[in-house]
Amino acid sequence: MRNAYLTLTAALLLIPRLTTAQAAQPAPAVAAGTGTADVGGMFTTTDGDEARYERYRDTRDGAYTNITWGRETGSYLFDASASHIGYRDQRYNVDYSRRRFDFGFHWTSLPLNYSYLTRTAFVTNGTTLTLPDSTQAAVQGPGNSTTDGTAVGVPCAPGAPPAACTSTNAAQIAQAKANRSIYDSLANPFDLRHQRDTALFDVRYAATSTVDLDARFLSSGRDGQQPWNASFAFNTAVELPQPLDQRTNDVSVGASWTNPKGMFRVGWDGSWFTNHNQILTWDNPIRSTDFTNGSTVFNCPASGPSGPWDCSGYSNGNGPARGREALAPSNMMNVVSAVAMYKLAARTTLNGTLQFTNQRQDEDLIPWTINSVIDQPATFTNFPHLSALPRSTAEAEAQGINALINFTTRPSRRTSVNVRYRYNKRDVQTPIFDATEYVRFDAVPEEVEEGFSPQFDNSRDFFDANLSFSTNGWGTLRAGYGREDITRHGRGFADVGENIFRLSYDAYSNQYVTVRGNVDLGWRRGSGFVETGIDYEEGPGGTQPTLRYYDEADRDRTRGSIVITAMPSDRVDVFFQFAGTRDKYLVDESAPVDRPGEHFGLQRQTTTSYNVGFNFHPTDVVSLGANYGRDSFGSFQRSRNANPAPDPTWTDPSRDWTLDNDDHVNNVGLYVDMTRPVRNTDIRFGYDYSDSNNSFVHGGPRVTSLTDIGQFIPLPNVENSWHRLTADVTYFLNTRVGVGVGYYFETLDVSDFNTIDTDGPVGFAPATGDPRLDWLGGLTLGYGNRPYTGHTANVRVVYRF
Amino acid sequence: MNQNRWFAWAAITLTILFMAAFVTATEPVVAAREAAAPLQQKAAAPQAPAPQPAPQAGYVGESTCLTCHDQSYKGTKHALAFNERTPAATHGCESCHGPGQKHAASGDPELIKRFSKLSPAEASATCTSCHNRASHALWDGSQHDQRNISCVTCHSVHGSKGPSQLKAGTVVQQCATCHRSITNKVYRYNHMPVREGAMTCASCHNVHGSTNVKLLRAGTTVDESCTSCHADKRGPYLWEHAPVSESCVTCHDPHGSNNDRMLVSKQPFLCQRCHVTSRHPPTVYDGFQLNNSQNANKIFGRGCTNCHQMVHGSNAPSGKTLLR
Repeated sequence: MRNAYLTLTAALLLIPRLTTAQAAQPAPAVAAGTGTADVGGMFTTTDGDEARYERYRDTRDGAYTNITWGRETGSYLFDASASHIGYRDQRYNVDYSRRRFDFGFHWTSLPLNYSYLTRTAFVTNGTTLTLPDSTQAAVQGPGNSTTDGTAVGVPCAPGAPPAACTSTNAAQIAQAKANRSIYDSLANPFDLRHQRDTALFDVRYAATSTVDLDARFLSSGRDGQQPWNASFAFNTAVELPQPLDQRTNDVSVGASWTNPKGMFRVGWDGSWFTNHNQILTWDNPIRSTDFTNGSTVFNCPASGPSGPWDCSGYSNGNGPARGREALAPSNMMNVVSAVAMYKLAARTTLNGTLQFTNQRQDEDLIPWTINSVIDQPATFTNFPHLSALPRSTAEAEAQGINALINFTTRPSRRTSVNVRYRYNKRDVQTPIFDATEYVRFDAVPEEVEEGFSPQFDNSRDFFDANLSFSTNGWGTLRAGYGREDITRHGRGFADVGENIFRLSYDAYSNQYVTVRGNVDLGWRRGSGFVETGIDYEEGPGGTQPTLRYYDEADRDRTRGSIVITAMPSDRVDVFFQFAGTRDKYLVDESAPVDRPGEHFGLQRQTTTSYNVGFNFHPTDVVSLGANYGRDSFGSFQRSRNANPAPDPTWTDPSRDWTLDNDDHVNNVGLYVDMTRPVRNTDIRFGYDYSDSNNSFVHGGPRVTSLTDIGQFIPLPNVENSWHRLTADVTYFLNTRVGVGVGYYFETLDVSDFNTIDTDGPVGFAPATGDPRLDWLGGLTLGYGNRPYTGHTANVRVVYRF
Repeated sequence: MNQNRWFAWAAITLTILFMAAFVTATEPVVAAREAAAPLQQKAAAPQAPAPQPAPQAGYVGESTCLTCHDQSYKGTKHALAFNERTPAATHGCESCHGPGQKHAASGDPELIKRFSKLSPAEASATCTSCHNRASHALWDGSQHDQRNISCVTCHSVHGSKGPSQLKAGTVVQQCATCHRSITNKVYRYNHMPVREGAMTCASCHNVHGSTNVKLLRAGTTVDESCTSCHADKRGPYLWEHAPVSESCVTCHDPHGSNNDRMLVSKQPFLCQRCHVTSRHPPTVYDGFQLNNSQNANKIFGRGCTNCHQMVHGSNAPSGKTLLR
């Protein structure tokens, strides 16, 4: 297939040359275009996680192709290129310009290779994923009992003695881990990956010297599979390969008028996302029939018999035989916009935009549940709301208004003033959906007070003003103030406002050194906190009353950066860069005195980044450089492990715990480019390195008490180190023909406790590189973070024509 | 061959044939181009300069400039004389450097516009006298303009190395001259396909000025920018997840991360920053749970989204807790 692509595309690219040669020309002889054909072979070997080595690339053995062709005449310019023809990461570009007309076509194929080590017992038939009925029955057992299953579906699930997987008995725990799922022996290997192919057409036509018309069409298709989760209970997390078949089509058209004084453009952008896989249905690995205890109660009373569903079915796995999910809905978005810019007197410019946005989707809704034991008239006696959906389609819609106005004036060479105002509004128009009765996990119908769909509207007003003053060759000092006000609906705070002060300094006139630095100070405060409960027992959604969501919480922010570049000569520059941010989330001082003083959620967050390096061009044909960077990220959060109020643990500070997350990263980059240092030879080297040491450290009184009873084990750090080496040597035999050799090396070493290998979680057990699909409480595909080493070499002929 | 492949073949074939029709138009060829190379600046072909209109007062014409200075802007789009908006179709070198009569007469470098001596605003004003359309329309007052970055800070008409006449070899290298703390993130093992060459910084950002925050190219909010490609997350959904409606960067780091899914922290701990409720959300998920309990499924693999898969929003009537 790849050879067919190569042959046909090369032939098509040569058509203009052939037809031109055949055309009768009364004028002087037509010269052919020029280009480069860089073709040869590519070869790859990999150890370890081959898919991770490839990731967004296709490194399979085969033809290496990189072809460019262009032609310029007195009336047009044409450029075309094709790379990696026939591979999953192939790209094509065509650009054509005439006097008033520009046209472009761009094709990009982008694979995302998750893993070639994955296995699954699920059989995919469209959007239905099934397991063998006999195996499901063997796991479930003959009598719908929780303990008489004859095979293990998910370790610790019913049928996997011991039934309770929260035992503290070491022998029972060891037994549970040793009980392999029957599906492990049935799982078949497959490549887990998907592909995104994007075609972009864009056209610009200069109708007159001042009027341009532009149009753009983009179509992006995504197919393949991605890892997806679809679970049934606390003890039955299931990962399966979700089939993908999606397409997004975007159309943009606009007209603009421009002259030396200003410009004005109106445009329309439309986007349509189509998901051909709307609904996912999949089998339960631990049940072949919907659970029923035969009861005729059809409810979960506080005492006495209940059923016929297991009222704890969402936690113990006594639920449905199948599940059904609504996948990403097909949707559309329309934007009508106007952009204008006008130059006033005295070096003053005014520009701005106004946009109206509409997003909507109206997909058919799936029923409340696929569980036949629940979806029957007898249930509706106690759950009347479940007898029918409030409406048959989503009727989801959001409208937006966005405006920006920007005023800049330079009253003198030394001063400039900039004032900006931005307004964004998102207004959710979706009718509220009443799910005060719904079905959890397809296992248990429930009634909930907070069962109405929220409407997360928000509007933002942002005002920003800056004053700059330039000294005579000593740089520019800028001071600014910004104020952002956000009004939200459906969140913790109704209103949030932030004052931002900034100071920056830029020295750029000196030929030996440039300095650019800035510092921002921000103070964000919320008001109108939404309380629930008479005594402020709970926050919205049953949260701890002093929890603040960190994207709206009171916060003090300090952020700064500095870039210093020294250029002792025009052949060398040395640079230093620092960037840092510190966010501190504050205790809510408006809390009533009778509320606990603790403040939950994210408490603080810091990032720092240092980089030093140099670039050196000792001669016109040699350039080299190096960079070292050190990044640090830290966050601290607090929570409380408690039962719901009025249980005493709800307000017990001894149940508090904290998490301290620190990630330290080193980055190294080296490059050497030599253009003909040796006769007729181009040489390029590159080396990049990045590592990470990511720690997750629990603390606090709850952790201390768990440690005292032997029920706490610290998590190992998540570590990785990545190296990449590239080398390319091209030798030109003459002005037209050359030979090239390229080498690409990449290796990743990674240890991540969320990856389960054959002996268990990596970091607790030695990494083997082979996935284990069935770990405590879950049946997975085996997708994880595993090491690899890969080598890719190419040998090719370069022909210039 | 599936439907998508047929579509690809049809699109490619039709486009190539369409362009072939154009390039067979019987126009006399003025010059042949040099062999295409990754560089934007091509070596000048041995050709006579494009015919210039008669110089206006104060202008001397490009041929006068070339008696002392090399014509190193040839081979770039500025040199496309068939486009009436280019310097080659107007005043040549003097389109940007201003009338050169006095400079040519005396040789005094002070009598011609030199970009290395201009203030950033003055340099940018020269470029934006033409480049004031489409993606360049909002340069004045933009974030880079306010920091006294000028067009010639990043671009070079005469000595470019990279695409769009950038001074650096690639877009990422150019941005790294100031934003290395960001560009280093492309090397983290969960990343967008920037280091594979499928994207650049300019895929998401319009550094020349934008109607969106953070100089994002598409839309007017962070979400609109991200969902211009990730339209499956756009919704709107029947059940929305509040941080998703606010901003994708509440949970994700789009530049690169050492956490899965480019998250700013690892699951379940990221979710536990906000879900401080009762029962299983604020449980201490540690090594003991991972090795001794069915609660291991909240830690390994995809963490909370092992069950709450519809984390971006759900369209299922029973999707209130994002389980369906």
